[in-house]
Amino acid sequence: MTGTAEAVTFWILGSLSVLSALGLLFARKAVHAALGVAFTMAILGIFYIGQGAPFLGVVQMFVYSGAVMMLFLFVVMLIGVDSSDSLVETLKGQRWLTLLLSLGLGALLIGMIGRITVTGTPNLNAINASPGNISAMAEVIFGKYVWVFEITSALLITAALGAMVLAHRERMGEKPNQREWARRRFQRGEFVSGLPAPGVYARHNAVDTPALLPDGTPTELSVSRTLQARDQVARPGLFSAAEHDPHQEIEEGSAR
Amino acid sequence: MTTLLPTAFTVAEINYWAILPVLIVFGGALIGVLVDAFAPRSSRHSIQVALALLTIAASFGALVWKAVDNKGATLDGAMIIDGPALFMQGSVLLLSFLSVLLMAEKFSSAGADAFTPMGAAVPGSPLEAAATRAGWGTSEVFPLALFSVAGMMIFPAAGDLLVMFVALEVLSLPLYLLTGLARRRRLLSQEAALKYFLLGSFSSAFFLFGSALLFGYAGSVKFSALSQAITTAPADVEGLLLPGVLLVLVGLLFKVGAVPFHQWTPDVYQGAPSPITGFMAACTKLAAFGAILRLAYTGIDADRWDWRMGVAAIAALTMIVGSVLSVTQTDIKRLLAYSSVAHAGFILVGVLAFDATGVSGVMFYVLAYGLATIAAFGIVALVREGSAEASHIAQWSGLGKRHPVVAGIFALLLLTFAGIPLTSGFTAKFAAFAPAIAHGGTTLAVLVVIGVLCSLVTAFVYVRVIVLMYFSEAQGEVRALNPSVLTTVGLAVAVILTVALGVFPAPVLDLANQASQFIR
Amino acid sequence: MTVLTALAAAEPYVPRDNPIADFSDTPWWLSLVKALLIFVYLLLSTLLVIWFERRVIGRMQQRPGPNRTGPFGLLQTLADGVKLALKEDLTPKNADKVVFILAPAFFGAMAFVSFGIIPLGPEVSLFGHRTPLQLTDVPVSVLLMLAVAGVGAYGVVLAGWSSGSTYPLLGGLRSSAQIVSYEIAMGLSLVAVFLYSGSMSTSQIVANQRDIWHIIPLVVSFVIYVITMVGETNRLPFDLAEGEGELTGGFHTEYSSLKFAMFFLAEYVNMFTVAALATTVFLGGWQAPPGIAAINDGMFNEGWWGLLWFTIKLWMFMFFFVWLRGALPRTRYDQFMHFGWKFLIPVTIVWVVAIAFLQAANNGFLGDRAVNIFGAERRLASLIVIGVLALLVLAATWIWEGRQVKRAEARAVVVPPEIDPFAGGYPVPPLPGQRLRESAGESQADSSKAVIHG
Repeated sequence: MTGTAEAVTFWILGSLSVLSALGLLFARKAVHAALGVAFTMAILGIFYIGQGAPFLGVVQMFVYSGAVMMLFLFVVMLIGVDSSDSLVETLKGQRWLTLLLSLGLGALLIGMIGRITVTGTPNLNAINASPGNISAMAEVIFGKYVWVFEITSALLITAALGAMVLAHRERMGEKPNQREWARRRFQRGEFVSGLPAPGVYARHNAVDTPALLPDGTPTELSVSRTLQARDQVARPGLFSAAEHDPHQEIEEGSAR
Repeated sequence: MTTLLPTAFTVAEINYWAILPVLIVFGGALIGVLVDAFAPRSSRHSIQVALALLTIAASFGALVWKAVDNKGATLDGAMIIDGPALFMQGSVLLLSFLSVLLMAEKFSSAGADAFTPMGAAVPGSPLEAAATRAGWGTSEVFPLALFSVAGMMIFPAAGDLLVMFVALEVLSLPLYLLTGLARRRRLLSQEAALKYFLLGSFSSAFFLFGSALLFGYAGSVKFSALSQAITTAPADVEGLLLPGVLLVLVGLLFKVGAVPFHQWTPDVYQGAPSPITGFMAACTKLAAFGAILRLAYTGIDADRWDWRMGVAAIAALTMIVGSVLSVTQTDIKRLLAYSSVAHAGFILVGVLAFDATGVSGVMFYVLAYGLATIAAFGIVALVREGSAEASHIAQWSGLGKRHPVVAGIFALLLLTFAGIPLTSGFTAKFAAFAPAIAHGGTTLAVLVVIGVLCSLVTAFVYVRVIVLMYFSEAQGEVRALNPSVLTTVGLAVAVILTVALGVFPAPVLDLANQASQFIR
Repeated sequence: MTVLTALAAAEPYVPRDNPIADFSDTPWWLSLVKALLIFVYLLLSTLLVIWFERRVIGRMQQRPGPNRTGPFGLLQTLADGVKLALKEDLTPKNADKVVFILAPAFFGAMAFVSFGIIPLGPEVSLFGHRTPLQLTDVPVSVLLMLAVAGVGAYGVVLAGWSSGSTYPLLGGLRSSAQIVSYEIAMGLSLVAVFLYSGSMSTSQIVANQRDIWHIIPLVVSFVIYVITMVGETNRLPFDLAEGEGELTGGFHTEYSSLKFAMFFLAEYVNMFTVAALATTVFLGGWQAPPGIAAINDGMFNEGWWGLLWFTIKLWMFMFFFVWLRGALPRTRYDQFMHFGWKFLIPVTIVWVVAIAFLQAANNGFLGDRAVNIFGAERRLASLIVIGVLALLVLAATWIWEGRQVKRAEARAVVVPPEIDPFAGGYPVPPLPGQRLRESAGESQADSSKAVIHG
């Protein structure tokens, strides 16, 4: 029915795509799951090419793997989603129920669809030879499927409008500029010359180290609030302690 | 020098008069998007409302002026403009006109009152408060609603599975968005939108999967070709038919909220802004039943002995679950949601009759139900405690004494839902059940019995609310706001039509009867 | 205007989907040989271009550049490469090991893939077979190249993410955002080429440029492509992904030794790829320049000569890359994105629509009345479309200039020609163009109102 090369390609890539699709379900890290999807999409693209639809295949890779999944990855990375966030089950036993129902549906579909037989080797060779894959596709899109093609644009406009409505935060009024900030500082009479800069010592230079006040106490004002919330502020005591015993550090360094 | 077109290319014949109503709505929506981009904020709301109303009215005009005389398949069979399609399109336009009137209600704020001033602001954040103070509004809801209306107009007129799928998405996507834009109880609204979106896309996937199987079966996505293929019954691909039909039906039954695909209904009805809930409940149900009729009567009718029992079971389940669960509800919007689930079951009984009278019965039912629903949610939006909607049923006690008109109208609508004689609900139920008994055999007779029993259960629920409104003492500071002219007109028209359909149903029934023939 | 009349040449419609290159006499082993040759070609070119870049930039900065290792310092890159390979290979503790190793390999592999569809020359004899100097060609070649570039961005993102540290993550996000957004404009600029040549196959596109290179009729596409190709390859002035000042090294901060070399190599190969595509799509590919092509009945357009013309055109682009790097400072990230999304993409969309109208007119979809101008038959519809386009461009520039003038007027600050330095009680130094009152007495005559544009 199919050529050897095609069969080999199918069984190798098919198993790979199933594995990576399962990766979506079982991967621990969200990024790995997204990669699994991207990989599955890419393999689908290769299948399309193998079946004589190069345009569809390449667009599948370009649009889904290249653009859509890339944006997914973006969001996943920026937000830092982790699987640990979503392990709480609110409905008890739903996993097993889901598994049961999905298996049932799968069995039903396989049972029904497995009964069909395909005769001959349907392929696109004739169309791909003349007028060519892309021309043939264009003729269908702008011929008998023109209505679907056109109303899909409504979908895209809605999506764009929806993204604007749900995600675009319009600024209310002007953003304060440097002059405005300075004016406000003077009005309040507090930190007139700005907040203290984070600590810069002879042995350390980092934003997580608070500056020392004249009396030697560290000031939290000099460290970003984000670092404080994450509890990642370094204690300056560490460095003053090390200062008293430099030999130990030298030994440590040479042992490394 | 001559025009050299590729030889294989055939241009789809387009009867522009037939699809003019849809094109007008799309055009209005696009202009609405531009208005939002360029009009000054202060005048956006009024421009959008006027534009939306004008668009719908123009579309309706085009429908009755030209489209009715241009029946037939167009766009190479992608759109089939026939009696049922025209009736459904006209009904969608009528109902959406009333919905837009309700959506435009401002009360004291600057923007439309039901919608958040800024969808992107974190609920309860200073930014949101500032936007409220500044009187901002989400005027994008009007173009979104128009897009949805366009989808709803294509849905029952779709001539193939592909158009039906895209129409399904075109009508759903704006609804997902609109659900998440309620002004009050933002978190609930956003949760509802997300649930609706996730479940909706899931059901769309079912529909698409089923369409793919049916395409494999018939070698074409057209309903006519599908019907043809079923009668010739190709043996080697026969296994694709039933799974395909079932999966496609799952996708459609999700939209009407039939059990067990109803889980989204109560949450979404409760979370969405009330005018949107009304719009969604009335128009989506109408369009989805139009699509179900089209699929069941022109696409997979020859195969109906395979799937009819399944759908009958779903209809029975839907009626029972919807009516029984509505007994336990304490939130007025959830109560109406479960009642809508029960109504979906009643309508499904009419669908299964497989007769032209069944078609007209279903069409009359969805129109009557839609009118009552829009009015009911319009009333729900009026009854407030403080600035929030008084959605708990206990808050409605004694409303009849404080606001006799509002409570009276609501009682009338509830009686309509219950199907008391001389209301449109009764006529509708009769119109849907009678063909089922006449043409459906024992199965449908059993279904009708279940339907009548369930009607009694729901009637009990509605009467309980009425009793609460009239025979309990008022508590708290619940009051009904004074609606503006727009809402008053919208409510009045909906209520008058509801009454009219109950008392003089004949003209509309006749119209539905005349329009009940599908073109294949 | 000549550009536009060139566009109006009427041609009959023939589907040109499938490649014109004939691979029927190419056995599978020959394809392998060709793949190997391309690989070697790219590796050698990379070795050379790094030296070239350092020498040219050296010249631009009035210093010699590397000149010690080998003749003219030619072996400097090789020496650097060996040194890089022998360095310690570090893997950060927080890194996601598998992805950390896969990312550079993937990025490197993807860089080489695209070159397979570039036609380096016409048909030649190779080991007794007549075969095009091109690994392969498919009906969607150019699209395939865009797809590979889009997928290649994963290498960057994943490298940034898997390093488990902040700078690489930000660098990776930046650079993939850059690649994805500039790919839109790039793809759109190529759409005009597809419309004009009627094909996405590289060999067809080259064949279509036999009479006139696409750079002339499609000059807007060319300019946009060149801008976006610099953005695609993360080169100066668009190398924000590794802006040292803010992100140390960008996505490959944590990489060292061979893995880093992989990124380094892939970035240069990417430069060659985009330049090769520009050559193929706009500069006639392997075809000889117009004057030379006419010599001796197209002698120089045959056989291995094609490789020479191709390489020369390719290196012109390489010089351009280096020139940019030597001449321009880095742009700011927001300006870069603003430029891409709000200028390049809209302009390209308008351009594509214009080309679509022109092609429709040329193919006779807009009526087929012909008129005789300059002794050649032209379609009336084409001329009308060209006229309308020209009018629109005129109107647009007019409006834009009017706005610029108004904006400049609004921004112009009138500064009094002379000030009293002690007006507020404190001494205030004069602004540029201002004069202090003390000296006013001597040069009263030529003091006019000074206007400073700021």
